[in-house]
Amino acid sequence: MEALELYTADVQDDVWTEELKLNLGPQHPSTHGVLRVELKMDGEIITAARSDIGYLHRCAEKIGENVSYLQFTPYTDRMDYLAACNNELAWSLAVEKLLGVEAPERAQWLRVIACELNRIASHLIAFGTYGIDMGANTPFFYAFREREAIMALLERPAGSRMLYNYVRPGGVAHDIDERWLPDVLAFCDEFERRWAEYNQILSTNKIFIARTANVGVLPREMALAWGCTGPVLRGSGVRWDLRRDVPYLWPYGEVEFDVPVGEGTHGTLGDCWDRYWVRMREMIESVRIIRQACARVPSGDFMDKAMARAYKTPVKPPKGEAYMRCENPRGELGFYLVSEGGASPIRCRARGPSFCNLSVLEALLPGCMIADGVAIIGSLDIVLGEVDR
Amino acid sequence: MKEAELHARLAASGLTGIGALDTSARDPFVTVEAGALVAALTFLRDDPECRMEMLHNVTAVERADAMEVVYHVCSLARHHTLTVKVRLPRPAGGTHDTWIPEVPSVAGVWAAADWHEREQWDLLGVRFTGHPDLRRILLPAEWIGHPLRKDYVYPGEHGGIPLELDAVPLYERAPGSPPPPARPARAAGTPLEQPPAPFSTRPLAAGGKTCEPGQGGGERGGAH
Amino acid sequence: MGLLNNTLPDVAPVKAIDGLVGWGRGSSIWPMTFGIACCAIEMMAVYAATFDLDRFGAGVPRATPRQSDLIIVPGTVNAKMAVRVKRLYDQMAEPRYVLAMGACVCGGGPYVKWGYNTVKGVHKIIPVDIFVPGCPPRPEALMDGILKLKEKLSREAVFARRAAAAAEMDGRYGHLGAAAPAGGARA
Repeated sequence: MEALELYTADVQDDVWTEELKLNLGPQHPSTHGVLRVELKMDGEIITAARSDIGYLHRCAEKIGENVSYLQFTPYTDRMDYLAACNNELAWSLAVEKLLGVEAPERAQWLRVIACELNRIASHLIAFGTYGIDMGANTPFFYAFREREAIMALLERPAGSRMLYNYVRPGGVAHDIDERWLPDVLAFCDEFERRWAEYNQILSTNKIFIARTANVGVLPREMALAWGCTGPVLRGSGVRWDLRRDVPYLWPYGEVEFDVPVGEGTHGTLGDCWDRYWVRMREMIESVRIIRQACARVPSGDFMDKAMARAYKTPVKPPKGEAYMRCENPRGELGFYLVSEGGASPIRCRARGPSFCNLSVLEALLPGCMIADGVAIIGSLDIVLGEVDR
Repeated sequence: MKEAELHARLAASGLTGIGALDTSARDPFVTVEAGALVAALTFLRDDPECRMEMLHNVTAVERADAMEVVYHVCSLARHHTLTVKVRLPRPAGGTHDTWIPEVPSVAGVWAAADWHEREQWDLLGVRFTGHPDLRRILLPAEWIGHPLRKDYVYPGEHGGIPLELDAVPLYERAPGSPPPPARPARAAGTPLEQPPAPFSTRPLAAGGKTCEPGQGGGERGGAH
Repeated sequence: MGLLNNTLPDVAPVKAIDGLVGWGRGSSIWPMTFGIACCAIEMMAVYAATFDLDRFGAGVPRATPRQSDLIIVPGTVNAKMAVRVKRLYDQMAEPRYVLAMGACVCGGGPYVKWGYNTVKGVHKIIPVDIFVPGCPPRPEALMDGILKLKEKLSREAVFARRAAAAAEMDGRYGHLGAAAPAGGARA
């Protein structure tokens, strides 16, 4: 007994032996782009985290000060490259606010359809890549199959598969062909059938729920204080959607759709599953909007006539400033334009939703395991092009 | 509430340094003094009629005579927004190298300001006093200069990484030839020169076909 | 040391080995999962069902550079990222190939004139084998690029490449003398 006592005499249970500094990214399959997170870990648990961004900083704001208003539209595409039409819409509305013009009715409805199709495409990537983050490889292939259908549809009026340059200040760039609206409706029918399948694959999957429920709980006050918007905010129970509350395109006030919020279905309110489920439900709401919009597209101009003429020479808005915010798939994109009468703005500031959503990561990561950390990053659904601009 | 009512409420709050509501630009804005900024924004956040829960955007704008820091705040409960500006006048002869305007940080009021203010420090060189951790966020930590300033000089390289276009494009250089020499320094604000002409100036081999845009041709025959 | 120093004569049996090894390498090019920007989404579309790069043997992306043969660089490289791209390329083992995907890495792309921190073409940092222009290039274009790489591999002189790579490593670490990596640079 004496020997045993000597052996166990000075054992302290609270001695901290080693801290591991782990670098996650910028090349990592699960960081959704070139994001680097410096982690301090105690075994498997993250004790501190620091995000390091800027690996995709492409000087968009400086470019905006040097090219004309129409030339900048493709650069807005490349910020959130998964939801290109929505970015272009925010930019176009900001420029139209400065100029005091409004797009014609047909253009507005076409914008709604293009933006909602793009929202479905963006949420599909969120669904597919979140599956891969959790170790489920199959949803990725389904998601990209649907995306091909959407990209083929949008390629017809816009000319490009992904970075469309379609929504422009004054309207849209090209008109649609006669078969486009029926084809969009056919896609909607097919997509609703398949959405139910994807739910079975991932949303109600026991392993997926075990990995995402009660993980990364974001309380309501924290989300508001950190400036989170979009599904990240709605996952925490705040029913706020700019399309319904501040309709920046009047067609959004004319169509009926619900705004899904997280309800703590499988765990605490504001966990990763809630944010993921908000995105899944939003896809169906977008299908509802598209169906109603397709029935209401009038004939007419697709680009404001005065703007079409004005584009022959660089457009010069009067002195002033405009701030315009739009509901993108990732949150609220804001464009702040300051014009002094020249062909380019003197300040072109893009407030990317992913920038603000990502800032909450440093507060969410400590205390969880590294695998949960990957789940949290995936649930925030960031795009680094928008974070870094 | 409209901006006029919000401004009236802010002005009646008893805080000093609240300016007038400017409606000449497209979006009306309130100018406040730098010293009154934190108190004014805290009032906007906490007042039950204003209830600005979210700081949407922080921007710095460099004008000829001043640096303006613009705060866009919005309320979800009350469905209204307000734009608040702080004007920091430029001292005589204040250039990119000599002038770093200062304004108090609002990171204590909304946590969202943390990253926004770091970005404005990084790109425009506005120092936010009282910020918990003011360092560069988008550019590398050892970058010199604040690129969005109007008198910023583009660097030719950073840490050994070339940031310039080649004087002779890759497809015009003979294989194995040494890389072209470095370019001379440029004046303030000037960008790179125009990219080189898209089609090569090499003479075609004998019997070579040209392909003008709009002309079909090539082995596959016709455009894609 | 004839095999390793390419003092082999240029005769049919050597060419046959070159052809066989080149065919084997070209039919199983393992790329790295490395996505920087928008082109990465089209690259993911190529791995996915409709375009399916796996039919060409190149559909086993490895997350680590140590196990990959090909680094596809999709998306703008800026000063901060360039250091990491170079490090990733250095970590790859020979034979390694680089495919520059997209206008940004071919020559700067849309960010060429006013971008203060973008690198105007990734060939300034790492040697590129194939350039695939486009913004973003269509998935068919990327597949065409990989097939051209396969063609290039089938024409490659295997032992000459090995010798050249060894010489490059000697040039980098030869000054270390006794402290050079164990087994020599040919390990």
